[in-house]
Amino acid sequence: MARMTESEVFDKFAQIVAKSLRIDALQIAPDTHLTDLGAESLDLIEITMETETQFHIFLPDKSILETAVEVFGPGILEKDGHLTEDGKRFLLHRMPEADAQAFEGDVAVKDLQHYFLRVGTWVRMIQDLAQYTPAECESCGGPMVASMGFRMKCAKCGQEITLRSGEEINREWVREYYDKVYRPQAEAPVSATTVQ
Amino acid sequence: MNAFGNLIDDSSVTQAWLRAGASPAPWPESVCCRLEDFPCEPDLLADLILSPGEQQHWRSMRGVEKRRHEWLLGRCVAKEAVRSLLERKLDLHLSPTGIEIVPDPYGRPIVSVAPPFRAATVRQRLQPSISIAHSHGSAVALAVLDPEARVGIDLESLTHRREDFETIAFSPDERSLLAALPLDLRQEWALRMWCAKEAVGKALGRGLSAGLLAFHITRAGTAGGLIEMELRDGALAQCPQLRGKFFSVYTARESNFVFSAIIYQQGAVRMRPSRQEILDYLLQKMGELTQDWDYPDPVRPESLLFTELGFESLDAVVLCTAIQEHYQTPMPFAELLADIGQQRRDLSLEELADFVHTHLGGPAGAAPARRLQ
Repeated sequence: MARMTESEVFDKFAQIVAKSLRIDALQIAPDTHLTDLGAESLDLIEITMETETQFHIFLPDKSILETAVEVFGPGILEKDGHLTEDGKRFLLHRMPEADAQAFEGDVAVKDLQHYFLRVGTWVRMIQDLAQYTPAECESCGGPMVASMGFRMKCAKCGQEITLRSGEEINREWVREYYDKVYRPQAEAPVSATTVQ
Repeated sequence: MNAFGNLIDDSSVTQAWLRAGASPAPWPESVCCRLEDFPCEPDLLADLILSPGEQQHWRSMRGVEKRRHEWLLGRCVAKEAVRSLLERKLDLHLSPTGIEIVPDPYGRPIVSVAPPFRAATVRQRLQPSISIAHSHGSAVALAVLDPEARVGIDLESLTHRREDFETIAFSPDERSLLAALPLDLRQEWALRMWCAKEAVGKALGRGLSAGLLAFHITRAGTAGGLIEMELRDGALAQCPQLRGKFFSVYTARESNFVFSAIIYQQGAVRMRPSRQEILDYLLQKMGELTQDWDYPDPVRPESLLFTELGFESLDAVVLCTAIQEHYQTPMPFAELLADIGQQRRDLSLEELADFVHTHLGGPAGAAPARRLQ
């Protein structure tokens, strides 16, 4: 499989959504929210499964914020149901497609559901995760095809690999953000401002 | 005024549980309302029942009609559940517009009641707990008076469901609970189990944000419709005080819909027994089973079942059956006994207690990887 462009991913994902919700794909735009299209919780499960099958990826089963709160510990990114400034920075870093203005002022966790269910956010997430699905076999360079469950198989030499879970990939991403972006920021400015 | 009068199918869900034989005994008094269709034109209904704040939300709602209409149906049943509850329990007569339901920052609906005419006589904090669910054009709500209670309700339609959704929603252990059921019940029970997870997520106030496998089903009783659940990793991080507790969720089916509900009050949750409690139970049970066996020494935790206590395999089966009945949990005793036999070794009561403890939940370990067959 060749790498898909953003618009190819969008088209394919819109087809999945349209089929699952029994609507016209023309109703779907990057800025559409799945819940606004009438998706219920089980529809989202169905969309998740179909997306995993068609894109050969393993979607995370919790939101990036939930994973991040587990890594950061309580009270840093989110406090009493509201995003902290660190939490907003984190999400904007993670979701460049999000509207920065939407993160101004008070943002409750319940409002985030809305951003996480934006079609454009799913498309970006699918593209991100698809990078971890090899197109070619590591040992012989043959094309990889879907195998049972979350496995891929080389069509030429038959070597099998297991796809990495989105949850695990997210966790790694969060840890890297914590070490390289959050910690330096959290430690440095304090001493700088007190010196001045 | 009651704008929706008889059209609300009051407490049909709790009645269904009564019919199904589930015991609603530990439940505090609650009101459950359900509505499948609008009693009047939606915009008119919105004018009649919504508070000014809710009306603003109604008018600003985006999205397809189904979503807006289900939201309104949800508000309608929620207000009716609260109204009816306050009327029955406190003889308060409120109008739906005086009952406002606003989500908290995590999305859990919070009821606030406008100071009623007779508020001065009510010394109680008037903030009933409520949960609302809607699906496929039907809405349901459950309300209890206790502001500290956590309630959760869910409904889903049995139509148009992908049969393999269980591979994503359930862990291998949960799927084996399903696999043990008769074929014709599986689809319905998969949906019941899903609804049960949703209900517990709602009761705890964070929904399923911790991940589907963080809500772990330990038991599904087809006779009474009761589904038992405990929390794992992500959900425990959100509610650490609930470690080792079991939640019982009632489920029921009515025509094409499956319902689930839980009312969780701090004292009403069964604690998972400690290892010592299990051992004490085993020692006591051994005392009963072997009353007239004339042992020279009293039975101790380290006593070996077969060589010391003279057990034969049938005795072991009797003991294991008693344990399963006592804890209302099936455990893989057959495999344990087979292992013991193969390894040609004996089993102490302590070891048996450890085994039972593990299978009653044990310390929360890492969640199994999702459906990596």
